[in-house]
Amino acid sequence: MNASFRICKSFLAFPVILSIAGGCAGKSDLSPLDVQKQAFEDLRTEIREVIGNPQRSTEAIALVDDLEGELTALREKILARKIRAKQLNANYDTTRAEFDEFFERINRDIRLNQQRVTKSHRAFLAITTPDEWSQIAKVRTKVMSATIKANQAI
Amino acid sequence: MMIALFTILFLGGGSDALLGFIAETQDNVKIVMVRDERQKSALATLKLMKKITKVRNKQVKKAAKDLAKAFNHHSVTVEQVDTIWAGYFTNIDQHNHDMLDLRFELKEHINREEWEAIFPES
Repeated sequence: MNASFRICKSFLAFPVILSIAGGCAGKSDLSPLDVQKQAFEDLRTEIREVIGNPQRSTEAIALVDDLEGELTALREKILARKIRAKQLNANYDTTRAEFDEFFERINRDIRLNQQRVTKSHRAFLAITTPDEWSQIAKVRTKVMSATIKANQAI
Repeated sequence: MMIALFTILFLGGGSDALLGFIAETQDNVKIVMVRDERQKSALATLKLMKKITKVRNKQVKKAAKDLAKAFNHHSVTVEQVDTIWAGYFTNIDQHNHDMLDLRFELKEHINREEWEAIFPES
């Protein structure tokens, strides 16, 4: 991807970033999920550019599809966990055992998530050369940064 | 981009201090509770919760930084990533345990009516 195209993309992304950073959802029709969708589209485009081999490129994009699903699911899980944590805390009679059970369930879920992502990570490394990985790893778009920040801010 | 994505997915949402919001209720405590020794004790507990949440946030940032550094290398091994993960998970367990201890300590200073006013269900 050449520099002028990246700069152009950055400008296109700017209103989206502002709407997320400023929390002014009413001023934009794009939801965080819309922004995420765009970010993953950018990522797929970049992978096609970096990995010239069509078969490996297709495999890499399939992995990105999985990662997008993981990120969407993670977002929903974090929201649900936060709501449940507030409910448990609000109840004066919640026992320590109920909290422990809640945290154990989350920890199990996080471990399973980690195993799935480890598998995707290894698969990604297996189908890319060190140079390709380095290029894909370095590529950044403001839209993806905004998506990640939006997820971290839930 | 890929590294940031892998990092957030690896941290798996455990990065957020789930009970951290409790520490942010000093203002509610000051409004709901009478200014006495109980209020003073409740505020001291909240201050402690805030302190350990701050430490936790630093640990998360470090884990994210270490993971990003590891992911940067094509030759990173499963063992190297697992080591970072193990340390991160130990921190999550310890933090949740400490926050729960403090949550129940806080409850000792606050009666039911006050609690429900400080922590509304919605």
